Amino acid sequence: MKTYERAFWPFLLPALLVYTLLFVAPSLFGIWVGFTKWSGPGSEMTWRGLDNYVALLHNEVFTTAFTNTFVMATVGGILIFGSTFLAMVVLRQLKGRAFIRAVVFLPMVISIIAIGAAVGFLLNPEGAVNTVLEWIGLDPQPWLGPDMVFRCIVGGLVWSSTGFYVALMMSAADAIPTHVYEDAQLIGATKWEQFRHITLPLTWDVFAVAAVLWVVGSLKIFDIVLAFTTAGTAAAPPIPARTIAVQQYIVVKGAGLPDLGSAAAMGVMTLLVTAVLIVLTRRITRRDRVELS
Amino acid sequence: MRRLIGDILLPRATAIALWAWVAFNLALVGWVGIQSLKDSGEVWLDPFGLPKTLRWDNFSSAWQAAEFSAAAMNSVVLTLFGSAMIVAVSAPAAYVLARSSRRVAGHAINYFAIGLSIPIQTILVPIVVIKLSVYSFMEDWVTGWWDNRITLLVFQVALSVPFAVFVLTGYMRSLPHEIEEAAEIDGAGPLRAFIQVIVPVARPGLTTVLVLNVMGLWNETLLALLIAPLPEERNLPAALLGLYSSMQYSSDWGGMFAGIVILVYPMIVLYIWLGRRIVDGMTAGISR
Repeated sequence: MKTYERAFWPFLLPALLVYTLLFVAPSLFGIWVGFTKWSGPGSEMTWRGLDNYVALLHNEVFTTAFTNTFVMATVGGILIFGSTFLAMVVLRQLKGRAFIRAVVFLPMVISIIAIGAAVGFLLNPEGAVNTVLEWIGLDPQPWLGPDMVFRCIVGGLVWSSTGFYVALMMSAADAIPTHVYEDAQLIGATKWEQFRHITLPLTWDVFAVAAVLWVVGSLKIFDIVLAFTTAGTAAAPPIPARTIAVQQYIVVKGAGLPDLGSAAAMGVMTLLVTAVLIVLTRRITRRDRVELS
Repeated sequence: MRRLIGDILLPRATAIALWAWVAFNLALVGWVGIQSLKDSGEVWLDPFGLPKTLRWDNFSSAWQAAEFSAAAMNSVVLTLFGSAMIVAVSAPAAYVLARSSRRVAGHAINYFAIGLSIPIQTILVPIVVIKLSVYSFMEDWVTGWWDNRITLLVFQVALSVPFAVFVLTGYMRSLPHEIEEAAEIDGAGPLRAFIQVIVPVARPGLTTVLVLNVMGLWNETLLALLIAPLPEERNLPAALLGLYSSMQYSSDWGGMFAGIVILVYPMIVLYIWLGRRIVDGMTAGISR
């Protein structure tokens, strides 16, 4: 008998147990809590059925957080993949492309809290950005005020995430043999047409995966909101900037007895929305596989 | 016209935008470093100038303020132990899953893949409940004390296992089958064969997953704020957030930038050192 067949269970079991006991089982418990009214160990747990969900849908703060998350996922996604596609048009031949790819990826390894603190310093009402605006005769803006902070967060999100998708898509594009492009050049295809008719179809599978990754990731957006809205105060982020994750964190961590049932229901809703969006994204990106013969 | 847009205007504009983006990233990283060496007045009044004198004491003041030294220690310990444990738990599992022809192996791979799409919010409330219960249970019945940092470590590991198993299974599949034969002739037991034969061969993949987890755990914020929020138990991102939100009272801007540097520069050094491999590892596991 092969070594790996003999060792199958002893090798698999630690990972299986850790994952089942500390990830899957708690998730199921979370789904259960979502149907109850509960403020934590030691307090009484009463069954509420779907009431938590009904209450959430009528709660304006939550629906705002829900809409915000959705807008971040769609607008952010369009901007990120738009920029990624543009980068893919030129990154194949551009001088210094390896360097560009490396540096563009850099924000991925940096803590978003640090980015928020540094950029927040620049965007302060009396910060450097507004000083520069005044020099050139424009009005200073309340960048991190309740009205504009949402747009700044989406901008920060696009800036910090795009590099990852550029790296992902370019690693797929690298696998396309150069003679395909040479042929295309011979028949006079422009760079844009080469991207549109060669690069994109041949990397479409990876794009489908990347889109799902973005959707799943975008529903968890949390740190960047905290980082952009904490700007010198310890208060909770303003409602127009909250995501579902932030709202859930506030409910769990808030003063007084936490409404854990409601917070758990938010988690379940995120799970459901994730599932729906994965299916939708798969459907939108589904296409017949293109292969080089 | 078609040629003008598709061959000249669009590519040129994109190339310029890409270089501007590169310049911005590099400038931001460098600027943070320069700011961290100015005194607080200069940081605020002359944000783009060079420091008149190098204020290395910003680092010692950040180190003492907001208990950054404790936070740095916490981050180092949590990150190193956590990522080592993730690989130690995931690598053997990934190996047998990649090699075995049992039907249950396929099911197990799918089971781990589910974990990739469960958002952390689903498990947020259970984590808080478990954290509280474990704390009081251990304190009352078992050891008489407990440290929330242990809970944080355990959950960081558990939540990272699905991704590590997923990526490593793909990687282990790409290894040649001949390597086990060497181990078999050797007559070694499974564990020894794994450590002495498989691990050395699989080293590039294992290192990539290790480094990816080092970066993930080092920058972890939500779990840290949730499980270990007190000044003496929090990690660097949580400490920086604390320092940042106290800025309006302390105005120690030089200290804050020193804190940013302490949090960011180690990861940049790691990235410069192992950059290509990190990007490949992050993308290869997914595009396969």
